[in-house]
Amino acid sequence: MSASIEIRNVTKRYGGLTVLEDISLSIAAGEFVVFLGPSGCGKSTLLRMVAGLEALDGGTIDLGGTRIDTLPPGKRGVAMVFQSYALYPHMTVAQNMGFGLENIGMAREDIARRVTAAADVLEIAHLLDRKPAKLSGGQRQRVAIGRAIVKEPKAFLFDEPLSNLDAALRGRTRLELAQLHARLGSTMIFVTHDQVEAMTLADRIVVMHNRRIEQIGTPMEIYRRPATRFVAGFVGTPAISILGVKAAELGPRGLTVDLGSAGVLQTRLQLPVAVPAAGGLEIGIRPEDVTVVPPGGDGIPARAEVVEHLGERTLVYARLPDGQQITAEADGRSTLRAGTEVKLRLDPDALHLFAADGRAFHVDAGGYDG
Amino acid sequence: MAPRTYRPEALNTSKGLFVLACLLAVVAMAPIAWIVGLSLKDNKALMLGTEAVFALPYTLANYVNLIGSSQVFGWFFNSLVVAVGETVGVLVLSSLAGYAFGRLEFPFRRTLFVLVLFGLAVPEQAVIIARHQMFNWLGWHNTHLGLIVPGLTSAFGVFLMTQFFRAIPKEIDEAALLDNTPPFRLFWRVMLPLTLPAQATLGIFTFLHAWNDYWWPLISATKKEMFTLTVGIASSQTNFAQSEGLGFLSAQAVFASLPVVIVYILFQRHIVTAVSGGAVK
Repeated sequence: MSASIEIRNVTKRYGGLTVLEDISLSIAAGEFVVFLGPSGCGKSTLLRMVAGLEALDGGTIDLGGTRIDTLPPGKRGVAMVFQSYALYPHMTVAQNMGFGLENIGMAREDIARRVTAAADVLEIAHLLDRKPAKLSGGQRQRVAIGRAIVKEPKAFLFDEPLSNLDAALRGRTRLELAQLHARLGSTMIFVTHDQVEAMTLADRIVVMHNRRIEQIGTPMEIYRRPATRFVAGFVGTPAISILGVKAAELGPRGLTVDLGSAGVLQTRLQLPVAVPAAGGLEIGIRPEDVTVVPPGGDGIPARAEVVEHLGERTLVYARLPDGQQITAEADGRSTLRAGTEVKLRLDPDALHLFAADGRAFHVDAGGYDG
Repeated sequence: MAPRTYRPEALNTSKGLFVLACLLAVVAMAPIAWIVGLSLKDNKALMLGTEAVFALPYTLANYVNLIGSSQVFGWFFNSLVVAVGETVGVLVLSSLAGYAFGRLEFPFRRTLFVLVLFGLAVPEQAVIIARHQMFNWLGWHNTHLGLIVPGLTSAFGVFLMTQFFRAIPKEIDEAALLDNTPPFRLFWRVMLPLTLPAQATLGIFTFLHAWNDYWWPLISATKKEMFTLTVGIASSQTNFAQSEGLGFLSAQAVFASLPVVIVYILFQRHIVTAVSGGAVK
């Protein structure tokens, strides 16, 4: 069972401090939506408002067409997995999973049936008689998910559930969550500040910053067509390189930008609206769109300051003659060393242009199917 | 001598400190050993001098006489009723108050908590006359109720339980709320079991305090059949060097200490947990 979620004009204040302002968002039934943003952006608060753990100071929240912000948490039809798992330490795994069902007066056999079924799905059937203290972090995490599953909620809410796991386990659990979503087909909201989790799990990502939603889109839209300079900078590892624009001129073929020591680039950018004068313009380019030219080739001169050999690729953190930093990508077999002079080539079609007010403009998403 | 590798565990093995600790332990244990020794001696031998405790023979006669004395068992029963009643009452009231102060929001919560803590600063002697008159008016003197009720208001208990309830992560309540848990069930099934170490500590301290209390039972229980063990044994001292003797008195004292020792042995694990809890995550 899954249901759509409609968040309308939601506002949250703590005293004089507004932490969420006029947030509106529609989530389709069965959709996996990730709230992504830096610490303090309000993403967890918004999730907790859906759960009923925070009161709204304005707006409404509907679940499956029914208004739920007027209901207590237990009556909303949602289940939540906490960052700290929040298992009841004195209860066994089975009791932890069945407690919510006991509270609604479900028959003992039915509880046992649901708990066993969920435990089988999560492969924790052998742990049902143990207490949380006797479980590893990954096992506790599964129990917390199991406690949510047995309730058969209309929507699952995850509040940074993977952040307490080590890197290897996080990767595995991420995959299992994706499989679980595919199997259950439930509506899921997942809060994280980890963009890898967001990119890999989400049907759509909601990027939040500074009390409001910056952008809503599929992972590739967010990555290839960021709506603002903030989104471009927040999503992507290593971060997008931002270069100042000395002068810009819009011609029939598109926008020509003078990047100072990074040269003059002719782009196919056609600006749909008037963009403020060149002084406030910047361009952004992702590392994979900046390549290191083989020796003897033509390109922008730069000095490699740090070189990271990652195996499948090499990252080059370089400095341009005018002092600006740029990150480039080279082949994994590159023998480049820090301190050497390199030549770089920027893909003009992969440029993102940022206006002084933070809005972003793109040439092309550059995506393809298959 | 070649320099030795630093070993952190060496901090725990200072021999001088160990010897000092043993000496202090002997000083602490000596009165207890002394009382046990006296209780195993014939009263007549002790009348000649207490140094007789170091010489044979020893006898269980005092304990046999004790079993024959119905009065001591009556006092024992009174002490048990008072100590158990007070312990249960303090645990119930302190848990409820601690939960309210630690987890619930209500008007004047902080002010009320400060007022409760103020109780820690008021000595029992300051209120004893007023309490005596009040209990006299209520007709509660020489009753078990009269001995139990004054001990129920434990400022320390409320403080301890409040701190414990506060320390429980708020995600536990939130998980319970999402599990549709009614308020009292949240307290009873989720929160209260998590404070078991504190309950054990508070229970033991309250039991020991009630069992050893002398001051209030001395005032409230004036009839011999309502004496608690402390008051009863003290009243026996008027017979010192007569029929009962020092050995019999010591046997009574050992008998009176037994429940305390048993309680401590049974629950010491919880005391340790409570005292060390929170020091290391």
